[in-house]
Order: sequence, then structure tokens, then C-alpha cells
Amino acid sequence: MHQRSWFKLLPVLAAALLFGSLRCDAQSQSVISQPQVQQGATGADWPAYGGTNLFWRYSSLNQVNTTNVKKLVPAWIFQTGDYQEGLQSTPIVVNGVMFVSTGRSHVFALDAATGKLLWQYKHQMLPGYSPPARSKSYGLAVSDGKVFLATYDDFLIAFDQKTGHEVWRVTVEDPYTCRCSMSAAATAVKDKVVVSGGGLRGFIAAFDMKTGREAWRFYSIPGPGEPGNDTWSGDSWKTGAVINWNSGSFDADLNLVYWGTGNAKPDFFGATRKGANLYSSSIVALDADTGKLRWYTQEVPHDSWDYDSNWEPVLMDRIVKGRMRKLLVHINKGGYSWVLDRVSGEVLGTYPDNEHINWVKEVSQSGELIGRHDVVENEPAWLVCPSNLGGKSWNHEAYSPRTTWIYVPMIEMCNDIVARPAILGVPGSAGGIWVMKPPPNHDTGYSHIDAFDPVTGKRQWTYQYKYPLLASVLATAGDLVFSGDAEGDFFALDARDGKKLWSFQTGAGNRGSSVTYTVGGKQYVATPTGWGSVSADIMSVLWTDSDKWRLGSALVVFALPEDSK
Amino acid sequence: MSKLSVRVRSIIFSALLFVPVVAKAQQLSTEQNLKHGEEVFAQTCTQSYCHGAAGAAGGAPKLAGRGLTGDYIERVVTYGISGTPMPAWGQILPLNEVRAVIAYVQSLNGIAPSMRSGPPPALTGEAAHGRDLFFDPQHSVRCSFCHRVNDRGLQVTPALGNVPADVAALRNLATPQVSTATAGSDTFPALLSSKIPTETKIYDLTKFPPVLRTFSPASVEMKDGSAWKHSQVLGNYSDEDLGAILAFLRAAR
Repeated sequence: MHQRSWFKLLPVLAAALLFGSLRCDAQSQSVISQPQVQQGATGADWPAYGGTNLFWRYSSLNQVNTTNVKKLVPAWIFQTGDYQEGLQSTPIVVNGVMFVSTGRSHVFALDAATGKLLWQYKHQMLPGYSPPARSKSYGLAVSDGKVFLATYDDFLIAFDQKTGHEVWRVTVEDPYTCRCSMSAAATAVKDKVVVSGGGLRGFIAAFDMKTGREAWRFYSIPGPGEPGNDTWSGDSWKTGAVINWNSGSFDADLNLVYWGTGNAKPDFFGATRKGANLYSSSIVALDADTGKLRWYTQEVPHDSWDYDSNWEPVLMDRIVKGRMRKLLVHINKGGYSWVLDRVSGEVLGTYPDNEHINWVKEVSQSGELIGRHDVVENEPAWLVCPSNLGGKSWNHEAYSPRTTWIYVPMIEMCNDIVARPAILGVPGSAGGIWVMKPPPNHDTGYSHIDAFDPVTGKRQWTYQYKYPLLASVLATAGDLVFSGDAEGDFFALDARDGKKLWSFQTGAGNRGSSVTYTVGGKQYVATPTGWGSVSADIMSVLWTDSDKWRLGSALVVFALPEDSK
Repeated sequence: MSKLSVRVRSIIFSALLFVPVVAKAQQLSTEQNLKHGEEVFAQTCTQSYCHGAAGAAGGAPKLAGRGLTGDYIERVVTYGISGTPMPAWGQILPLNEVRAVIAYVQSLNGIAPSMRSGPPPALTGEAAHGRDLFFDPQHSVRCSFCHRVNDRGLQVTPALGNVPADVAALRNLATPQVSTATAGSDTFPALLSSKIPTETKIYDLTKFPPVLRTFSPASVEMKDGSAWKHSQVLGNYSDEDLGAILAFLRAAR
């Protein structure tokens, strides 16, 4: 345990006096150290994609809390005008300015108190370029006086934070050949900006913030002669893809960057890529200065269900079996969470998050898949749960050091999968066909936000919803859990029991990541609205009334009325 | 592994991949061609992120029974739709497979199969191998990062002019257009991209890939000449590879 001295508590006490209504929580204070809360929580700003680089999506703000949340009203609305794939972005807020990106790689800088447009950039996709899927952008990085945008046609562009003028741009990969589809938000790591993407051999790469020069590049499939290359039969390493389409996290003390990697291609059809297929469906820990692999943990060796590991690696220090450990908690698309020691990669435990899982009998506490039921060529289609869209989609979970729980948005949906040979090396040639189905003994799918003990996986409460929940979760020190739903209701739950305390109809389905921040001492809560994405479209076949899930692309921002603070 | 064996392996691999298909296609009846088109369609277009089984729709639009015209189908399959995930299959699949898919999708729209037309003939032999190397994603440093040929690749340099006579000439290519830029304490090999009164855009060639940097004109100074050499970025191509690339550039003109 870290020692706590009284003056370190001063800001907390001051905040308590200022905002009132803080419930003292003896349990959380004994479990989570104050220095770690200061590293993992956001304050006035929302400076990074995951909140901070520990990826908690947790804010220490508590002006809006369980007692006054029902008074929240809209403060301003911003329509982006770009309806490509809805609005799946996470806004970044620094010094009262909000930065947001949209599906066609447009960037807007807004006054975070009023929504007034300060500058904008509208990316023109390369002529003749055909992206591997409909283009999308999950967000931006802001650091060193610059805003960094990774585009779907494989550029990394740095803009001046104040003016929006371009400072540099680099082609991370030749888009005509690679079709790498950089959808992940760039991540600022010290003096570098880290991006990731796909192509025939996925990559994670770092560029110097000042000059744009490449600093390092890690391929998620090892090349000939490198350790792990022999886990791909024949030449299958050349076409295994392993697309890294989401962002990672960073531990400054250990100087390690953590990333979740994609599944091995062709999806479903494993016969042409015998072996474990490293580093697919893995967590990799890379040296932040060199990009060298420090350790890896493969969650799904030789995947045949399309269960990639691209979701967020959440970093936290917690007591495990009586000993304080540096943890990395990570949920795989297959619906299981892995609890890793982030110093060594050792698996300390696993637990199921989904209610319907049948691709394995279980995942052992040391991470082995017990009783695999693989998708195999020449076998009739069988009902795999969860579906290959994931027991959880990319929309992020949140971790509150006050309750000590992690809040996870889950989807219960299965699919019939049949494996078929792919044409190797042809982007877009998958090794199978799948059709969405409800879980056994259900007429349709459903979803839920659950509070879990992130170490033991003990479920504390569940909030159920009849349609897919595809918006990220946000946790705050006001003991609130925010998220939004397919019908357009943005809502707040009580972080301790999951009861719905407030909701507001935003006009379009919620598919992005809400954030909270202050300007001039006033707390705002902002949610992207606008349904969209390939996953959302594919899921819609399970519901006959899915035309209620409305498209759009707007930011809706809430605050308390002047007289209620 | 020796270069020769890699080459031999790649020839054998190509032979295995294409010969049976070509041999089959040459003798295909209209009906067999349709059947083949259905197979290729099932392998490439049906996945649920895209057009679904028999073009019944998935993540991408429905294709069956849409009343699409034969010309439209041929154009879109061959050249793709820019700005959408629909790729130019004419650049990806062998000619016969593209023709078979076109015939199949036409049949889904009630159009009688025709094998009369199709995309332009593909390159063959050494030139085809050279084209693959020019764009080869396994070469982390590759020609197409800087040079655009036949509407593929990035145009960092102006369009290619004369093709060098041989591999030695390619390696020793004079690059008088590369100069030396100084911005503050930073000096780097530079290729001017554009200059207007308010800004100068320069490719920084210090490291691969090149970075397009934007400066105010007063903040950067450019001097003729640079120690940068074209051979620096040819490092992972063998002489044999470069010979094939030259054959491609000659054939592509």
C-alpha cells in the first residue's frame, strides 16, 4: 500500500466541500491508492481518447452527481454534417476547446462551453482509393500544441492546435496497396504519436510529434527469421492481416505501450494457416522508445470465430490474493475478460462477461481455452455464441476507483457460421459466411451494462436493454455511469446499484463515447449521437423494429441550470 | 533461404494458384463460367460484411434482382467505386475470374452471360512480377510509396519520365531535385512539393516513409544538392527484383 499523507488528500477534501454530496467510501480508499487515482482519472479536461492513458474513462468531477443529475439540461448542440457511419468518436477537451473527428475524417475544434466552431478540417480521401470497409474515425490525440488525426486512407496528419493549420502529414502505409484502414484514434506517448492499422500484416507505429518522422514500427505478424513467424504454416504469415483497429494504453512508469491485436485472417477458415498465429488475438507490451516487444499474451491461439483482442487494455493497480499487483484488465470479443500482470504478461485470472458463451467450455484461470468448439471446413453451420461482432463491440467500458468496479456494455447475440476457403492475399476475402441469430431459447438478442469486480469478475448489478447497447460507458466521481442507447436516450445510472436516475432523448441513436469536463468551473457532459457502423447494420436483422434506431451526427452537451448548482 | 529458392517458390506458388484456373477457364462453357463466377463470388463478395450469399445483401448493398445493367456491373466489378469499400477487382483478381464474376452478377440481374468483353489484358511474365514487387506490401520500403504508375501508388515525385536502362542506372539514379532544407536546428534532405506566398510544403526524406511538412516561407531555407541517394531506399530489392521492376515500368508505358 502507498502511504497517504494528509496534504495529498487536500484536493479531495476541498472538492468535497465545494461540491458536497460525496459519500465517503472506506472500501475504495483501501483498495486503490490516491496517486493512482490521480493518474487514471480525468479532471477539468478530457485529454486523451481513453480519458487518460490508463484507459479508465473515469472523471474525478462530481458537480453533477446522483442527487442533481435529474436536473441536467442541454447546454449546446453541434451538428457535424458528416453522417458517414453515425458519430462514433470520442471528443477530446483541452483548455476549454473540444476536438472531435467524424467518419470521413473531418475534424472540428469547438468552444467547449458554447459549441462555437473555432476551426475545421475536411479530409479529401485519395482519388481512386477504395477503403476495405466504410470509413470511420474513433477520435484524435492532442499533445505538443498539435492535434493528430489518423485517416482511413492511411495518413497521419498533425494540425496546429490553435489554428488548425497543417504542420505535417505522413503516409503511414501506401493506401492503394495496404488498405490499412486506420480507424483507431492516435495515442500520444511522450514525444511520439502512436497509430495502428491493418493491411496484410498489421502494424503499430510511432512517429515523432515534431517532425512526423517514423520512430518505430511493430508488425503484429513476425517476419521471416523472427520469433513467432513459424506459428504460421507456409506463407500464411504474408496474408494473416491481424488488423489493429483500436487504440491502446500506456504505463509511463514501466515505459510500456499496451495494444490489443486483431484476429488471424482468413476469418473462420484456419486450415490454410495452421499454428498459433502469433501475435493475433493477443495483448502486446511494447517498449515506448523502441517499439520492441517486451511480452505478449495470446488470448485466442489459432482463432476460428473472429474473436480479436482489439478492445481497450485497462490499466489498474489492485490487490490480488493479498498482494498489490499492476494489472491489465482486458475483455476479448469472445466474451471473457483476462486479468494480466502488466509487468510480465502473466495471466492472473479470467472470467466470463457474457451470459451466452459456447465456443469454449471455459477459460481456465491461467488463460487456457478448455473444450474448444472450432469452426471447421466442411462442417455444417453451427450456432456460435457470442456472435463474431463480439460479446462486446468496440464501445468502451469504464472503471471507477470509487466503487472499485468496471462497467461493461455487453451484447447477447449469436451467429451461424460456416467456414469456406478464402482467396489468400485478396483483401475482403473472408473464410466463411455468418448469419446473425438470437441466443438459444430467445426470440431476439438483447444487451446489458454490468458492474463487475474487475479482478474476480463477480457481477454486482446489471442493467438490461432490449436492443444493442453500442455506446461507450462513462463513470464519474459523482457516482454516475453514463451511456446512450439505440433509440437515442442518453442516460445516467447510479454507479452503486444500476438504477436509472435520468435520461434525455437526443434525437438519434448513441454509438459514440461520452465525456465530461469543466469550463470556468462548470461541469459539462457531452455525448456523440447518430447511429451507424457496419456492426449496427448487421445486428439490425434480428429486430423487426430496428428502423427506430435513427442515424445522425451531432454532439449533444449537457450541464446543470445556473440556479441548481 | 537463398534468393533463388524464394523466386522458385514464388513461381511454383503462382503456378499452383493460376494455372489450374486459367486452364479451366479456357475450356469453360458459358454454364461452367457462370458456375466458376458463383464460386469466386462466394469466396470474395458474399461475406457478411459485404454483399451476402447470392448477393442478397449484408453490410454492402444487395446485388440480386436490382435491375443493374450489364455495363454497370462490368465497370464496377473491374474498376470499383472510389471512396467506398468496393475495390477494383480488375487489379486484384486474374482476368478470367473477373470475367466469371461479372457474368455471375449479371445473371443475378437477369442478364444473359456474355464473355465478349472484360477488363484490359493483364501484364504477363517478368513485367507482371515486377508490378507485384513495385507494390509488394511485404517490402516495408517500396517503390509505390513515392511513385504512381497506372493510377496506383503515391505521387511524392513527379510522374516517372525515362525508364533507366538497367539496374545499375536505377541504383545510381541522379536525383538533382533533392535538396537540403534547414528549419531552425533541423537540417534534412528535402523534395519541394509546393510553394505559395503563405506556405512552403516540403517532403522530408530523412526517414522512410517521407513526411510532407508545412512551413511558413521565412522559417525554412532550401539549398541545392543533398547527400541523399536513391540507392538508400532500394535496399531491400535484389538486382533480380529491380530488373523485373524495370520490365514492368517499360510495359506499363
